[in-house]
Amino acid sequence: MGQPEKKESGNKLNASRRRFLKLGLAGAGVAAAAAGGITAIKRMEGVPHDEFPLPMRDDFKRIDQRNQINVFANSKVLNEKHPERNRSFNTQLKKENPQGFKPFHFYETRSKFMTKPFRDSPGYSQLERALAIGGFSSAMQQLDGGIDRTNTGVSSWEQHMLTPNQYTFDSARQAAISIKSAARVYGALRCGITKRDQRWDYDPMYDAGIERELNWERDFPFEPKTVIVVLVEMDYHAMGSAPSWMADATVGDAYANAIKIVGQLTIFLRQLGYQAVASMNDMGVNAPYAIAAGLGEGARNGAIITPKHGPRVRISKVYTDLELVEYDKPRTFGVASFCLNCKRCADSCPSKAITFGDQSWEPNYSSDPDYTWHASRGIWKFHNDAKKCAKFWIDNDGGCGNCIASCPYNKPDFWHHRLVDAQNVIAPGPVHAFMREMDIFFGYGKVDDPERVRKFWKMGAKI
Amino acid sequence: MMDLTWYILGILTGAVAYSLYLISKKTPLNWFLWSGLIAGSSLILFSITWAVGSVLEGVPRAASMGLLLFGLSGVTILTLTARLIASQKDRTQ
Repeated sequence: MGQPEKKESGNKLNASRRRFLKLGLAGAGVAAAAAGGITAIKRMEGVPHDEFPLPMRDDFKRIDQRNQINVFANSKVLNEKHPERNRSFNTQLKKENPQGFKPFHFYETRSKFMTKPFRDSPGYSQLERALAIGGFSSAMQQLDGGIDRTNTGVSSWEQHMLTPNQYTFDSARQAAISIKSAARVYGALRCGITKRDQRWDYDPMYDAGIERELNWERDFPFEPKTVIVVLVEMDYHAMGSAPSWMADATVGDAYANAIKIVGQLTIFLRQLGYQAVASMNDMGVNAPYAIAAGLGEGARNGAIITPKHGPRVRISKVYTDLELVEYDKPRTFGVASFCLNCKRCADSCPSKAITFGDQSWEPNYSSDPDYTWHASRGIWKFHNDAKKCAKFWIDNDGGCGNCIASCPYNKPDFWHHRLVDAQNVIAPGPVHAFMREMDIFFGYGKVDDPERVRKFWKMGAKI
Repeated sequence: MMDLTWYILGILTGAVAYSLYLISKKTPLNWFLWSGLIAGSSLILFSITWAVGSVLEGVPRAASMGLLLFGLSGVTILTLTARLIASQKDRTQ
């Protein structure tokens, strides 16, 4: 009688062990899923860095604004001073396309910008031209005629409305949150605050509108301590029609919003007794300042990629003498790793200005200094040929935006894209290449698509 | 519209959970069958929400691809699981 009882209790013991094992496995599965989820959420918020996240060499030099493409193209004086730049570019263009070569001159061709006749294809009619010019009009008015101008209109260096009584914030944190709250009410999508870093400031500055060189120590009214960086969103649907003139409309509109917000922030700070100057494309390079302020990560297309909105943002900034003891930290979101494997922007670039190569210390498209005069050196990033990009704008008689529209990070703020983002930040490189293919398979990031233009013009029915 | 989708999804999820409870009352399910039922129904619910989101953002191709990839996988898993449940039932009878 003792043996069967023993066997029964042994069976019971085995069954309870099995149940325990199953429960243990289920628990481990749930714990692993939770840990994965928490890791993904943390990485989507960005991994903070104490230093600027892109490696830099000692030979890195501040950028001379006279070497900035738009400034050079807008300046008659600089074009006359550097005929070798146009010559070298034409030699390269001729080498690449001997049959279709047409001489190009940065200043002379640029001065005829947006004056060509309308085209008989969707996105290039009088309707889209009117939309684009309307989009840019406000920014042009606010900046007295040019988005690359310095010390004009809203971005004037004159400290009018400056209050003598300086407001004292309780803490650096309170100051930062107050500034960001002000940016929010003025319409900013995101705002970050970073220490002024001379590496990103043009030296010297140059205003092509009046053909004048400007110096930080000699001409600027104060010593900036802090830079407040603001992001503004561009419309997903208008940008999706790139490279049509319709995309220019949202670019121009975002410029208008961006300069409006920093103009208002400037007055806000002056009313608190701090000197401040609003800046659009002048004074300093926007992308590294936005990276330093933790708003995004440098991408293959030369723009920054932000969480949620990808590269579909415009950046503006405020220089102020308000000094904070704590600043936002730069953050990385896994973008650089994704860019290494994706290359959709390079595929969609009509002028082949965007590199298919990996990051490098200096441009690898040419070693001729007369050709690479605008390039930065000593910074580990994707180096693109900005001249070809500028040439396409002029040939297109508008802007482009293909590299923004085709980017897999450029998505509307819908839940399923955040899910894909979460997957991308924890997945290794080969998965990124697969996600790029899935993005195409699912129909995202098409460029030069007349359907997007037709769709855009129906959207007004919804408001 | 997406808010309404979440509301309907909540009702659907409740209905699926109750159906699974009823199935488990009628037929004893092992971990493998439970996994099949949960994975299959989750994929179908996911594909519906994905499709609605994609249509709302104006990318119908993403909606159809989502239905094809996630929805079809869900239906396949549910079908296989249902056949396993049926064969298990036959064996016990």
